[in-house]
Amino acid sequence: MATMKFLCDTKRCIECNGCVTACKNENDSALEWGIQRRRVVTINDGQPGEASISVACMHCSDAPCMAVCPANCFYRTEDGIVLHNKDACIGCGYCLYACPFGAPQFPKKGAFGSRGKMDKCTFCAGGPEENHSEAERQKYGSNRIAEGKLPMCAELCATKALLAGDAEVVSSIFRERVAYRGAKNAAWN
Amino acid sequence: MKLTRKSDVAQVADKPTLGISRRQFMKQAGITTGGIAAASLLGTGMMRRAEAKDVPHDAPIEVKRTICSACAVGCGLYAEVQNGVWTGQEPAFDHPFNAGGHCAKGAALREHGHGEKRLKYPMKLVDGKWKKISWEDAINEVGDQMLNIRKESGPDSVYFMGSAKFSNEGCYMYRKLAAMWGTNNVDHSARICHSTTVAGVANTWGYGAQTNSFNDIQNANAIFLIGANPAEAHPVSMQHILIAKEKNNAKIIVVDPRFSRTAAHSDLHCAIRPGTDIPFIYGMLWHIFENGWEDKTFIQQRVFEMETIREEVKKFPPKEVADITGVSEEVVYQAAKLMAENRPGTVIWCMGGTQHHVGNANTRAYCILQLALGNMGVSGGGTNIFRGHDNVQGATDLGLLFDNLPGYYGLTSAAWTHWTHVWDLDMEWVKSRFDQNAYLGKDPMTTPGIPCSRWHDGVLEDKSKLAQKDNIRMAFFWGQSVNTETRQREVRDALDKMDTVVVVDPFPTMAGVMHRRKNGVYLLPAATQFETQGSVSNSGRSIQWREQVIQPLFESKTDIEIMYRLAQKLGIAEQYTKRIAKENGLPVIEEITREINRGMWTIGMTGQSPERIKLHTQNWGTFSNKTLEAAGGPAKGETYGLPWPCWGTPEAKHPGTQILYNQSKHVKDGGGNFRARYGVEYNGKNLLAEGSFSKGAEIQDGYPEFTDKLLKQLGWWDDLTAEEKAEAEGRNWKTDLSGGIVRVAIKHGCIPFGNAKARCIVWTFPDQVPVHREPLYTARRDLVAKYPTYDDMQVHRLPTLYKSIQEKDFSGKYPLVLTSGRLVEYEGGGEESRSNPWLAELQQEMFVEINPGDAADRGIRNGEFVWLEGAEGGRIKVQALVTPRVKPGVTFMPYHFAGVMHGESLAPNYPEGTVPYVIGESANTALTYGYDPVTQMQETKASLCQIVKA
Amino acid sequence: MNKWFKHIGLAIALLFSAVCLANGGDEQALQPQASDAQIWAQLKDGATGYTTSQSEFHAQPINTYDLRVLELRSDWLAPALMAALFGMIIIFVLFIKVNGISKLHHGFSGKLVYRWSKFDVSIHWLGAIPCLMLILTGLTLLAGRFFFQPWLGEGIWEAIVYGAKQIHDVMAIPFMIGWALMTVLWAKNQLPKMYDVKWFLVVGGYINFGPFKGKHPDAGFANAGEKMWFWAFALFGLIISASGMLLLFPNLFEPSRTLSLIALVLHSVSAIVICAFSIVHIFMATVMSEGGMECMVSGYCDENWATQHHNLWYDEIKANGTLKYKE
Repeated sequence: MATMKFLCDTKRCIECNGCVTACKNENDSALEWGIQRRRVVTINDGQPGEASISVACMHCSDAPCMAVCPANCFYRTEDGIVLHNKDACIGCGYCLYACPFGAPQFPKKGAFGSRGKMDKCTFCAGGPEENHSEAERQKYGSNRIAEGKLPMCAELCATKALLAGDAEVVSSIFRERVAYRGAKNAAWN
Repeated sequence: MKLTRKSDVAQVADKPTLGISRRQFMKQAGITTGGIAAASLLGTGMMRRAEAKDVPHDAPIEVKRTICSACAVGCGLYAEVQNGVWTGQEPAFDHPFNAGGHCAKGAALREHGHGEKRLKYPMKLVDGKWKKISWEDAINEVGDQMLNIRKESGPDSVYFMGSAKFSNEGCYMYRKLAAMWGTNNVDHSARICHSTTVAGVANTWGYGAQTNSFNDIQNANAIFLIGANPAEAHPVSMQHILIAKEKNNAKIIVVDPRFSRTAAHSDLHCAIRPGTDIPFIYGMLWHIFENGWEDKTFIQQRVFEMETIREEVKKFPPKEVADITGVSEEVVYQAAKLMAENRPGTVIWCMGGTQHHVGNANTRAYCILQLALGNMGVSGGGTNIFRGHDNVQGATDLGLLFDNLPGYYGLTSAAWTHWTHVWDLDMEWVKSRFDQNAYLGKDPMTTPGIPCSRWHDGVLEDKSKLAQKDNIRMAFFWGQSVNTETRQREVRDALDKMDTVVVVDPFPTMAGVMHRRKNGVYLLPAATQFETQGSVSNSGRSIQWREQVIQPLFESKTDIEIMYRLAQKLGIAEQYTKRIAKENGLPVIEEITREINRGMWTIGMTGQSPERIKLHTQNWGTFSNKTLEAAGGPAKGETYGLPWPCWGTPEAKHPGTQILYNQSKHVKDGGGNFRARYGVEYNGKNLLAEGSFSKGAEIQDGYPEFTDKLLKQLGWWDDLTAEEKAEAEGRNWKTDLSGGIVRVAIKHGCIPFGNAKARCIVWTFPDQVPVHREPLYTARRDLVAKYPTYDDMQVHRLPTLYKSIQEKDFSGKYPLVLTSGRLVEYEGGGEESRSNPWLAELQQEMFVEINPGDAADRGIRNGEFVWLEGAEGGRIKVQALVTPRVKPGVTFMPYHFAGVMHGESLAPNYPEGTVPYVIGESANTALTYGYDPVTQMQETKASLCQIVKA
Repeated sequence: MNKWFKHIGLAIALLFSAVCLANGGDEQALQPQASDAQIWAQLKDGATGYTTSQSEFHAQPINTYDLRVLELRSDWLAPALMAALFGMIIIFVLFIKVNGISKLHHGFSGKLVYRWSKFDVSIHWLGAIPCLMLILTGLTLLAGRFFFQPWLGEGIWEAIVYGAKQIHDVMAIPFMIGWALMTVLWAKNQLPKMYDVKWFLVVGGYINFGPFKGKHPDAGFANAGEKMWFWAFALFGLIISASGMLLLFPNLFEPSRTLSLIALVLHSVSAIVICAFSIVHIFMATVMSEGGMECMVSGYCDENWATQHHNLWYDEIKANGTLKYKE
């Protein structure tokens, strides 16, 4: 059984935001202005030590969002992807508080918790609706996993900094990279 | 990912629709006008046409291969089309340039298939209101106006602003249209992009293009980026740069006033003061010469007059350099040492180097650095000059320039003769199209026109000072955003003053909206390159074919159709397309490509053919991402995209030249040497190479370019066939359309353009060697006396100011240095990318980067609005981004914004439904005068400003 | 407890090209570039940075907080709230079965003594009715997924939890008004006195067997038990209201995520306390103490009830002449 993960190689990430718009492009029908399922954050911006990293839902093995959701609307697919059922979402925002990565987002931020239905990265795996149905497309966006493809953000990454796929495969690619970075010189600094 | 099939569709979603939420955004952003609500209503019906949601998931998918239209890296992608709608975009992992990768713009490319904010149909401005008109009326009215102006003021009063977004075929046909109309007043954004590169580099070693390829950077051991920020401007090129860094442990040196995203990945960041590139390079050369790090053999065999440079460099000892550039002596030394110790190293530059009033000298200085290090003509070396727009290389190659015909033939009568010959036209007829009189002693047909950077001066300048009959009275803005030109206030005045403004573009663009006119503006909706087909040249000279993805949206028409309709209206269609076959009443694209290949001998853009280019595009996967060469498959042994020079005729099957001037290869395999372009000797000194030649050359020394006479002298004339002889007689390799001279030269291992040295001095330029000259608006008044600018002078048709500006001290009132550049999310003038919601969402406010110290002095906090006033008084209201990216005393603005001027929104001027999602002040409203004396490049990188809290 | 750390740690380690894979051995870099370990350390400390995203909290890649919060909620607070409601009910029912209720020794006198104003009665119910609904809906939100959802169909569960949230959000307002008014207006009668200690020593005199049987400790307007409830309600009502406000009006208060989580925990803890007290209170008023309910219906109590349960208060009003009978 595969366990799908994202990995962002900060030594490769250049904050080009390709992953962000790739996500917008692919999940256009489910997204609206202001919701970015993926974003790139640059720390130490503009000074030595600057590093950028692309962040979205990490599809945690034991996801905090899943643990706090009052409606229990989250579920894990057999690929280890954390998805949620928008019909069950009550817009309470607890997942947003619990998620270390700021992945859940809400269309609104009003009084009385009127946040609307939570939206987050689906690993391009749609949602609980029937695969490729209109409902799935409108609520969750694309379903590339069902087509045997990987998430658009990682597939379009300009510098191959963002990797997605089975955790073992992803980390072995990365390990290999670290190894050849170290081949001539131990440090990749 | 079905968990449980839902039986009941619980409809609780109260989430607003896309359209509404965007409107809400517009409201919040304060762009609301009466027009917007109506605009959305108008837009809806038409938008539907292109929306993916109307297409069932299982509709049959057609996959088209196309090339991203953002920058000149030339990333390929697969466009999925269902029921005529562009529904999907898939990565082209097999593409040799990008291996599936895209930046924000490329990853959002599919939005071109939506085009919500596009112009939907031809419109004209009538009494301040946009009125829909038919294409027929549009062409008729525009054509009549052209003919009218021609009668009154001559052909030079119509200006043809072209585009780097055209396909090669579009570029060629546009240049040809201007020629047939009878003017050289045709130009495009390369003028304000890499014109100084082309001039500086071509005058150094022959061609003005990127010498190596993006992929070849993988072989570099040092990467020297000056005035380049590929992480934002050419993100996919970073793939290759980072591979070099990882695999070769290549050292990355970034010379940039800002700590850019590229600098974040560097080993050494040299934050020079804007406008001090030459002292910095000379500072490095000082160490190189001092330590004997120069490649002496290379210089002796292949470089002309390095001695003059050596003398000049002596004036720039470390202390002086540190004082001028603001970079410590140690850092300059480190930069020199890294380049010397890690060879081959490549030099990459972009607008940071070119957009200066000394731009041509900057580019020559970079070349000289590479020549000193012996890094030219080798894999992993070279000058990798990243071009901006997707087809700016093609547009430049195809002469979409005020001083050239296609193929850099210039504007001499020999050049006109050559192209008239290619076109199969009568020279007298072509001549008759031009103004026959001379003005200020200049003949219009052979005198460069008015540059893209200064067309407004062509409108506003006193006509007695112009080297043409009258001012510009009418202009086409065909795929060019005028907000990329400095001095926006003059641009606006010029738009107001002209008789007629014609915008041909998918979007209204600033030429259509920033004026204060009530009448006389036409907006003609042009299709994007995804709605037609054609070839496109990337920065590395590789040519790719774009398949047509979708039919033209709305009522838009392709560039070539609009040009052809205009030519028909003007009565020149027959000559215009004499050799070009037509289908359905329109020129066949492939036939245009063939005509291009018929005439482009100078740069070897003759060996390609539509069939060869398409073959490459259809076989991406067979080309290596490392070497660009096909190890097998139908294009076996060829270099991807047949980068020019691809010598001879298509039948000769030349593989293309990935690395220019590379002597380690046979010319027939893409080898070569520096070009003999400037004679065989200068002041009695030999200009030809000495004892150095490309692999397999039968002349094992320098030699001049090939002509019929040289062939005869060498005894190779009889290698020509009878037909070739007939054509070649009295001609040279550049004008022999049979290709016989080229074929025979290569047969003997010689390159048709001769074998010479690269020049460190250019005797035809105002400065023979690169000379440091302080920016016109400089904060370092103490350096002005020692490093003054030029005297005022007439450049081609326009008087140009230098000293009279620099004389005045503006540094008191405007103490901050102002520079500008790119954002990754937007491109060029930004009209297109700011109309793409996926991109626009990421950058919603025009901003100025200001150092925390300068901000604190002015009581400005991050995110607050400020008034920025340029040294000529242009005021813009923008958000402050307080950041250490810029040093104290330096400010930076992106130039992609427009739609707000002096704090006032121009949104009401747009036709309904076309206001981009994001509008903002144009940086160029605050940017100032300053033009390169050789190319009229504008100065956008070193000016002055003051910032106060708004 | 450690499983959260482990799993989140794995996710983070995969996300950031970090520690486990990149190795040290620094070369003297010309430009000090952050090593992986340094970047990782900064991120783990919750470093924020620049991002083009406008979304809340997006400038911070990793928000660090004590992940035990999650288990605290699911393993402790949710069952505790269930226990506070159903457990208390069961205990009380059993208690009454064993102990019986507290009867008026002299029966109803028929004479009703003024005890609460109409306004007092109404603010009691202003707080009480929403409180009950908040307990039920809050229970659904905290513990429903563990205790109810498994027995419900998908559609029904979605409807219930959605309804619970809506009701919970709306009922919060009257509850808080009721809480505030009761706390402020009633506090003066609720100040603890020495005799309250004695009251506790005999468990209020409600035990009908053993040594406590038949005892009737002194009590003023409020007895010690009521005082305890009052102050517990005042305190935890404050906490539950404050934390609730943070959760209800994120747009006004813009709490950090960690603060929101803390609010969530405090909210649950307070709910457990209030819920448990409420059950006791309801039982006391309705079943346990004969004649007690009348106070919050009419505002009057039976004279015998007053003498039996609030003797000091009765003596006081009789002495100072404020005693008022119902007409």
